[in-house]
Amino acid sequence: MSGRIRNTPVSSNKSVIRRLGGQNVVVFLIVVALFAFFCIVSPNFRRYSTILSILDYSYYITLIAIGVTFPLITGGVDLSIGTGLICYSLIGGYLVVYQGWPVWAGMIVCVLCGALIGLLNGFLVGTMNLPPFLATLCTMMMTRGLGSICSTGLGIPWPTAGTEGGWFRTIFKLNIGDLKLPLGFLWILLLTALMSFILNHTKIGRYIIAIGSNKEATRLSGINTKYVYISAYVISGIFAGLAAIAYSAIFASVYPGTGAGFELEGIGGAIIGGVSMTGGVGSVVGTLIGVFVICILKTGLPFIGLQANWQQIITGIVLIAAVLIDLSRNVKGRAINR
Amino acid sequence: MSKKLLAIIFCIVLITSVLAGCEGTKSGQTAAGDTSKPAETSSGTKTDAEKPLNFIIIVKSYQSTYWLAAVKGAEEQAKARGVNCTFNGPNSESDIADQVQMFNDAINSKPDGIGIAACDASAVLDSLQAAKEAGIPVICFDSGVPDAPPGTVLATASTDNYKAGVTAAQGMWKAIENRVKGATGKVRIGVVNQDAVSESITNRGLGFIDEMTTLCKGAGKSVAVVGNDFYVNKAKEKGDEASADVIIEVRVPSQTTTELCATEASAILNQSDTIGIFGSNQVAAEGVLTANQNLGVLGSTDDKIIAVGFDAGSIIKAAVKDGTMYGAVTQSPLKMGQVTVDLLISAAKGEPVSDVDTGGAWYNKDNMDDPSIAPNLYD
Amino acid sequence: MGDIILTMKGINKSFPGVRALNNVDFELYKGEVHALMGENGAGKSTLMKVLTGIYKKDSGTIIYDGKVVEFSNPREAQQAGIVIVHQELNMLGHLTVAQNIFIGREFMKGIRIDDERMNDEAAKLFKRLNISIDPTEKMSNLTVGKQQMCEIAKAISNEAKIIVFDEPTAALTESEVNELFEIIRDLKKKDIGIVYITHRMDEIKLITDRVSVMRDGAYVGTLISKDSTKNDIISMMVGRVIYEEPKTESKVPEDAPVVLKVENLNAGKLVKDVSFELHKGEILGFAGLMGSGRTETAKAIIGADPKESGDIYINGEKVEINSPRDAVKCGIGYLSEDRKRYGLMLQRNVAENSTIAYLENFLKGIFIDKKKENSETEKYVESLAIKTPGIDQLIVNLSGGNQQKVILTKWLVRNCDILIFDEPTRGIDVGAKSDIYKLMNELVKAGKSIIMISSELPEILRMSDRIIVMCEGRKSGELRIEEASQEKIMHLATMWI
Repeated sequence: MSGRIRNTPVSSNKSVIRRLGGQNVVVFLIVVALFAFFCIVSPNFRRYSTILSILDYSYYITLIAIGVTFPLITGGVDLSIGTGLICYSLIGGYLVVYQGWPVWAGMIVCVLCGALIGLLNGFLVGTMNLPPFLATLCTMMMTRGLGSICSTGLGIPWPTAGTEGGWFRTIFKLNIGDLKLPLGFLWILLLTALMSFILNHTKIGRYIIAIGSNKEATRLSGINTKYVYISAYVISGIFAGLAAIAYSAIFASVYPGTGAGFELEGIGGAIIGGVSMTGGVGSVVGTLIGVFVICILKTGLPFIGLQANWQQIITGIVLIAAVLIDLSRNVKGRAINR
Repeated sequence: MSKKLLAIIFCIVLITSVLAGCEGTKSGQTAAGDTSKPAETSSGTKTDAEKPLNFIIIVKSYQSTYWLAAVKGAEEQAKARGVNCTFNGPNSESDIADQVQMFNDAINSKPDGIGIAACDASAVLDSLQAAKEAGIPVICFDSGVPDAPPGTVLATASTDNYKAGVTAAQGMWKAIENRVKGATGKVRIGVVNQDAVSESITNRGLGFIDEMTTLCKGAGKSVAVVGNDFYVNKAKEKGDEASADVIIEVRVPSQTTTELCATEASAILNQSDTIGIFGSNQVAAEGVLTANQNLGVLGSTDDKIIAVGFDAGSIIKAAVKDGTMYGAVTQSPLKMGQVTVDLLISAAKGEPVSDVDTGGAWYNKDNMDDPSIAPNLYD
Repeated sequence: MGDIILTMKGINKSFPGVRALNNVDFELYKGEVHALMGENGAGKSTLMKVLTGIYKKDSGTIIYDGKVVEFSNPREAQQAGIVIVHQELNMLGHLTVAQNIFIGREFMKGIRIDDERMNDEAAKLFKRLNISIDPTEKMSNLTVGKQQMCEIAKAISNEAKIIVFDEPTAALTESEVNELFEIIRDLKKKDIGIVYITHRMDEIKLITDRVSVMRDGAYVGTLISKDSTKNDIISMMVGRVIYEEPKTESKVPEDAPVVLKVENLNAGKLVKDVSFELHKGEILGFAGLMGSGRTETAKAIIGADPKESGDIYINGEKVEINSPRDAVKCGIGYLSEDRKRYGLMLQRNVAENSTIAYLENFLKGIFIDKKKENSETEKYVESLAIKTPGIDQLIVNLSGGNQQKVILTKWLVRNCDILIFDEPTRGIDVGAKSDIYKLMNELVKAGKSIIMISSELPEILRMSDRIIVMCEGRKSGELRIEEASQEKIMHLATMWI
C-alpha cells in the first residue's frame, strides 16, 4: 500500500498557556499583578476601603458577565444586558418609589423583566434564526427607551440605607458596627458555583456547549436547539435583572439613558476569562476572574491620576489583547467545526 | 427596476415627506423616535381672542429631577398665562447629538418660540442661526450659549453659574478656613464635574476654582490647579503643583453617569491630604456620596472631609440633613421654568427681553427648611 | 451471511437538470460487507442519502428488516438503526469522547449529568470493539482516524443494524486502516450489515464480500469480491457508450514551444514530485480520481497553496510564484472548481466581475473608468456569447455556464495566455457544455494554452491533446490522445490503490 496518506493529529496539546496551568490561572495572575501594580504606584490604593470599592462597583458587571457567558458559549452574544439592566431597575424602582410597592416586589420585577426580554432574545435567535448580534442589538435599543418610558423619564432613587425599604442594600453591603462587609461578593461566589455546576453538569449546560461547538451536529443528534437557545438567553436576561438589583443597591440613583457600554465590559470580562466568541468554550469561573481584570482597571486607573479618556483607551487595549489571544487559540479548535 | 427610476421615486418620496412635515405644528416627536421621553403638552384657557401661542421647550435631559422641577414651573406658568407648551429632551446629558436633532425638528415645526438648555454650547450654534433665519425667537435657560451668533439668543434665564460656583466655595470655606491656615503640609480640595462642555457645569466649576484660589491666597497660601486639562487651562491661575500649599484637583469622568463620577470621587477621597470635595451638579454630588459609602470620610466636623454638593434630590437632601454633606447650592428650577415661559411670551410678541438671573442659594441642615429655600429643594 | 436486511428497488431521484438516480437496485445481507463503487458523480452518496432520509426519493421502494420504510429525516433513520459514518465527521470538537457518544441520551443522576457512568459505558464500548481511546479526551485532540472510530462506537451504542461507511479510509494511516478492518470484521460477527463506499480497489478483496457498481446514476451490476478482478470492476465503472466523438488526433505540431514547464513540484501530501510540460496551443487534460492531487497541483503552481519545492518555467524562463498575484502577473489564470466560492463576487454584476483582475487597466487617475469597463465587457459578452440581459446584471442571476464564461472573461481581459480550467463543466447543463468546449477550442486556436482538470472521462477524451493521469499525489502516467482510452486512464488512476 504505497502512497498511503500519513496522518498527523488535528491539534497539538502543547501551547504556552496550557503549560502554565490553563487560562484561568494566567488571568488570575494578571489580576494579582494589576492589583499589586496599583498598590505600589498609589499608596492610597492599598486600603480595605479600596477593596470594598472595587467589589462594590464590580457586582453589576460581574452578574451580567456571568449571565452573558451562556449565550457566548452558544456562539452568540447578548448586547441587551447593559441598557437592559438599567431598564429593569427603572421599572422596578418606579413601582417601589412612585407606586408604593414593597422593595422585595420591585426586586422580583427586575428579574422577571430580565427573564422576559431574555425569552424574546431566545425566540428571535432560536426560532426566527436571526443573527444574535442583530437580535440583541434590537432589544438593546428597545430596553433603552422602555425603561425611560416606564419611569416617565425620571431618574429613580431606590430607597437609601436606613430608610424603610433600604434593607435591600444590606444584601450587598453589611455594616456591623464599624465593620463593613462586602456581602455581595459572597453571593457572587455562590452564584458562580451554581452556574458553573449548571454549565458543566446538567443537560442544558451540556447542550449549550454542544450547540456552540457544532450547531448542525447537535441538531442532527436529535436535540431541540430552539429550547437550548432560549435557555441561554433567558439565563442572560435573569442575570441582567439581578445586576439591576445590584446596581440599584450600590448607586444612589438610576438614570434612564445610561447603561450603554456595560454590556461591552461584561462581554469583555467573559472573553478575558476564556470564553470564545465563536462558541463551545468557556467557564463561569474564568469569566469571574476575567471581569475582575476590568474592574481593577476601572477603579485603579483613576487612582494613578489618569484622566477618564486614557482609562477608556487602556481598557480598550486590554480587550483587544484578550480577543487576539482568543482568536489565535481558536485556530486549533476549528478543525472539526462545520 | 433601473437605478434611475428608483432614484426618481426616492426623490419624490423625500420631497413629499419634507413638504408634509412643514405643514402645521409638530407635537415635538423626534425623527429618531424611540430614544427620548414622549412629548407632553399643556394648554391653558384662552385669554385672548387670537390663537394661543405655541412654544417648544427642550431640557438638557430627564436624568435628574431638577429638570422636572423646571418643567413643572414652566407648565404652571404656561397654564396661568394661557399658552401651549410642548416639552422634549434627550435621555442623558451626554446625548448631545440627540438634542441637536430635537432642536432642528423643533425649528421645522415652526412654533412661536423655542426654549432650550444646551447640553453642549458649541453644538447648537448652527441650529441657532437656522432658528433666527426662520424667524423663531430662542430663549436659553439653565445653560447659556456664550458664543451664540449675534441676535440668535434673545435672552437667557439661568442661575449665574459662575456666581453659584463662587457661593459653593464660600460655603465650603467656612468649614475649612482654619484647616487651610493651620496646615503644615499640602492640603487637597477635589472638584468633580460631570463634563467639560456645558456652560452650566463649566462655569460652576470655574467659579468654585477661582473663588477658592482667591480665598486661599487671601489666607497667605499658594494654590495649584491640577487634573482635567480644560479646567486647568481656564482657571484664573494654574499655579505650580510642586510648591503649592493647596492643591485643587479637578476630575471629569468620560460619561455623565453616577458610577463614573463615583470612581473619580473615590480617587480623590482616598488621598490622605484631601480636606474638601465639591460635586458641581446632582449627578456628581450623588457620585461623591456613593464613593463615600465605603470610606465614611465625609462629615461636618474638623476631622472629616467637607463635601459640598449642588441641586437637590432625595439623596442629597438626606445627606445634607444628617451632615454627611456639609451643604449644597440650590438653583431655582421652578422659577427658571416660569421665567422662561414669560420671556418666550414677550419675545414672541416682539417686546425686548434681557437676561434674568434666577439665583442660586446656599443651604445646609440649618436653613434647608426655610420657606425661601425649601420649595426649590425638589425630590 | 444471514438473511436480507435491506432491499432498495427501482430508486429514482432527480435534481433540477440532473437525473441523479435512475432505477437503482441495491441489496444487503445481515453480516455482509457490501462495497458500493463508481466514479465521482455516479450516485453512490446520493443513494445512501436517500436511504437515510437526507433526500426524499422520487419513486421506488425500500424494504428494511421486512418492512417497507420511508425516512423523512436522518434522526428517524438513526432511531430505526441505520447510521451513516460520514466522510466529513459530525462531531462536537469541544466535548469529550464520551460526551459525544452519548449526546442526547445522557445518563442522569437527578439533574446532574452522570459523567462518570458515561465514561464507564464508553470505555466498555471501546473494549468490546477493541479500540484504545480515552473516553475523557477532548474530541478535537484526536486524530481523524480515532474520531471516526468514535463515530462507529456511537453508531454501535445506538444499536445500529446497518452502518454505511462513506470513504472511510481516505484520511487514515495504515495502522488505523487495519484497526478499522478489525472492527468491521467484529461488526460482521454481530450480524450488522455494512455498506462500504470506496474507490480503493485493493480494499475490495481485503474486507468486502460483494461489490456493486454504479455509473452515471444507474446500477450496473454486482460481483462477488473474491472472484472479481480489477479489470472487471473498471470496465463496469467506465463501460459506457460515449455519444460525443473523442478526439482522434492532436493538431498541435510536434515542435510547438513549451509555454509552461513544471519540475519536481512538491506541496503537502497530495503533490509529490510532479513534473510536466504544457505546449503552446495545446489542451492538456489532467485525469484522476478525487483526492489524487490535481487541484492541489494547480493551486501550488499558481501560488495559492505554499509549495515545499519545485521549479516553474514560463516560456523557458524560471519564475518565482509565491502568490496568486505573481501567477496572474505571469499570465496564468485559474478557474476554480467551486465557482461560487472561489471564482465570483456573487453580489456584484457582470462588468465588475469581468474587470476585477485587471482594474489598473481601467483607471483614469484614481477613479475607475466605468465607460471603458462597460465597453470591454460588452466586447466579451458578444464574442463569448454570454447570455445576460445586460452587463449590470447581478452575476448570481446568470446560469452556471454563463457564470463560467464571465470568469473566463476575467482572465481574457487580463490577457492570460495560460489558462487552468478546474472541472470546467461541473454543474453546467448539456447545451452550455458544448458552448464551453467550443470556446476552449477557439482559445487554443488563437494561441492560448489550456490545462483542463476533469473527472469526466468522456470530457477528457473529447478535448485533450495529451492526458496526464495522477494517482495519490503522483503523476502515474502520460498519454497522447491517439493512444488513450477510458480503461487505460482508469488503470493509471488506480495504479497505486
